[in-house]
Amino acid sequence: MTVVPPTETQRDDAGRPVPPGSWLGWVSTTDHKRIGLLTAGTSLVLMLFMGVLALLMRGQLAQPEETFLGAQVYDQLFTIHGSGMIYLVMTPFALGLGVYLVPLQIGAPGIALPRLTLLGYWLYTLGSLTVLAGFLTPTGAHADGWFSYPPMADSEHSPGAGTDLWIAGVLLAVTGSILQGWAVLWTILRRRTLGMTMLRLPVFCWAMIATCLMVIGAFPALLAALTLLAVGRADASVFASNVWNIGYQHIFWFYGHPVVYVMFFPYLAAVAEVLAVFSGRRFFGYRGTALSLLVFAALSMSVWGHHMFATGQAANDYYSLTSIALLVPAGVEYFGMLGTILGGRLRLRTPMLFALAFVPQFLIGGLTGIMVGTPVIDYHVTDSYFVVAHLHYVLFAGSAFGLFAAVYFWFPKVTGTLLDEGMGRLHFWLLVIGTNLTFLPMFALGYLGMPRRVVTYAAFDGFGLLNLLAGAGAAFLAAGMTVFVVNVLHTLRRRHLGRARPAGDDPWEAHTLEWATTSPPPRLNFPAGRPLPPVTSFAPLLDLRRREQREGSAV
Amino acid sequence: MRQRHVFGTVFTLEALVAGCVFVVVLAVLARALVRRRAGDAERSERPRLEACYVGALAAFAVFLVAWTAWQNHVEHPAAGPKPLRVDVTGFQWCWTFRYPQSPDHRRVSGTCKGEDMPTLVVPTGRTVQLRLTSRDVIHSLWIPGLRYKTDAFPHHVNTLTLTLDRAGRWRGRCAEFCGQRHWTMDFWIKAVPAREYDLWAQGGTAAA
Repeated sequence: MTVVPPTETQRDDAGRPVPPGSWLGWVSTTDHKRIGLLTAGTSLVLMLFMGVLALLMRGQLAQPEETFLGAQVYDQLFTIHGSGMIYLVMTPFALGLGVYLVPLQIGAPGIALPRLTLLGYWLYTLGSLTVLAGFLTPTGAHADGWFSYPPMADSEHSPGAGTDLWIAGVLLAVTGSILQGWAVLWTILRRRTLGMTMLRLPVFCWAMIATCLMVIGAFPALLAALTLLAVGRADASVFASNVWNIGYQHIFWFYGHPVVYVMFFPYLAAVAEVLAVFSGRRFFGYRGTALSLLVFAALSMSVWGHHMFATGQAANDYYSLTSIALLVPAGVEYFGMLGTILGGRLRLRTPMLFALAFVPQFLIGGLTGIMVGTPVIDYHVTDSYFVVAHLHYVLFAGSAFGLFAAVYFWFPKVTGTLLDEGMGRLHFWLLVIGTNLTFLPMFALGYLGMPRRVVTYAAFDGFGLLNLLAGAGAAFLAAGMTVFVVNVLHTLRRRHLGRARPAGDDPWEAHTLEWATTSPPPRLNFPAGRPLPPVTSFAPLLDLRRREQREGSAV
Repeated sequence: MRQRHVFGTVFTLEALVAGCVFVVVLAVLARALVRRRAGDAERSERPRLEACYVGALAAFAVFLVAWTAWQNHVEHPAAGPKPLRVDVTGFQWCWTFRYPQSPDHRRVSGTCKGEDMPTLVVPTGRTVQLRLTSRDVIHSLWIPGLRYKTDAFPHHVNTLTLTLDRAGRWRGRCAEFCGQRHWTMDFWIKAVPAREYDLWAQGGTAAA
């Protein structure tokens, strides 16, 4: 899914100053498919970069008292890895997926607010470059973690220009995400085709509604927090009293928890679509799942204080109540996913493998999430490797597996050709081994007392073996991701040379409207003169096949 | 040791429940993978079953919230009369422990470089109240062996009350990222019998 322009079979640039196939045609496009591809493609490239940073960190931690990187470099790496993955990879990819898919799934010829969507992409790219530019400054990139609490992040304790660039860059990128969130939400609300009622929206669209509501409701809080940080860097007296130090944490986490679900729902929903399609049946418990997503989004804005149990300055009982209450909507989503595969005729293609692995792996993240939402457990494990393990099970073992399920699933729609199945399987198995080998030992490390964000540890701490295991796991992850990159580039190359086998409109016998058009879809999404199938439910193509079967057997 | 005890109880229960849920979900997954054929595939909703399931989940959530909140309150009882007070200050990158009640306001500090780690000496069996603050950025005082930590903020005092019922020595560390030498910000907490502590507080060096 890199941004290689598809070969234009017919040139339709008559009278237009910019040919659509040129690079200028791409960066000035108002086609939601191109904007979605640009956004998702950029975030995948950044993901590889952030992954390299993580490999360097695992190398540094592989044995005790290692001096391979040094604290100054290491602190930049964990900061840019963490903030990059959250602000510049998982969030933008989720929204890019929505920008690409939502209009297709609801039978619309385009996105609402296309220029604003494109502006969102530009802001995101500009913000990403600004954050990364920190590496070029004499003192290096920002080095205070993805939540960058003051006064550590003020101008006295983090004097470098890297911090200023980080603040500006994250502000730009997140503004871009907010714009794209508005566009996707507005598209779902206003541009549905005839018959596409709210309760016939695909599960993915429901997830995008909940996602965009959180983007709109919570992301501005991050802009406020970053502005506060910028003001405090200009005027040191701001952070000379406790009120803005603890106040920053409250404002930050008001954004900081909903964003976790922004990085979760679209991938969960991609998994839900894949599970349903490769089980050959309708998604189970549709209405319960849609409702639970909305409940989840609403609750997500009341749980922020559970990141602050150890500050002694949050109402712990209340935040524990709202956090643990999340297990109800989360349980409903698992009910839907498990109900779907239980009665299904499972086809184990690559997207399905990633979706199936998502189910138990994300569950580990979710169950440990209830633990860290319990104050008496959190007092011990917060800011330790236990939390690092927990968040990577949520975001990597969970969301990233959903991301890859989505990539393998929708790649044929986007490019017109399937990714190689053998390499896909190899990617999958390397990633399963690597993920669990890397992140499972971290639970034990945190429990045993290893704090997060330490550049090294003493030999007598006894953390060596578990860190070595995690390092070995990281090598599997690197191998898996290399296979993935080779697979994508190889497939795109074959396609470019015209040697790829065309995937057809609907290679998977899927359920939703994006599979009722050509692959890739034409400029206005659905070919003229080919009526959309009637939207009879949230799985119109499945209904159509069933009807045809019945009519076929009746004849 | 109250913190360690409460943590142990709650963690064991939650880990057991989590383990059971995980095994059940794995079993369902395995069953789906083994059968791989449509049963009553046309049935795409079971509202009554789902409602019962939601009821059970909600009931469990209510139990968990109430029980863990109660445990949290057990862990933080009102301090008894006359706790031993220690003023703890975190700074980049070490700790200072002051004993305002000792005859000559004893003070322990260090550089946290190599072996120069400060030791927080406390008597066994007596309630100790740590009053935590910071001189510069946010730190967090974590004693993994006691399963507890509290943040140390500048311009703000947090209290941490503990009672150690047996003599021993535990490692303490900083858990909140605080700059380049964050990883070296370790200290020792040492519990000694009351008499030995009194001697030490009066200027002795035996325990430290």
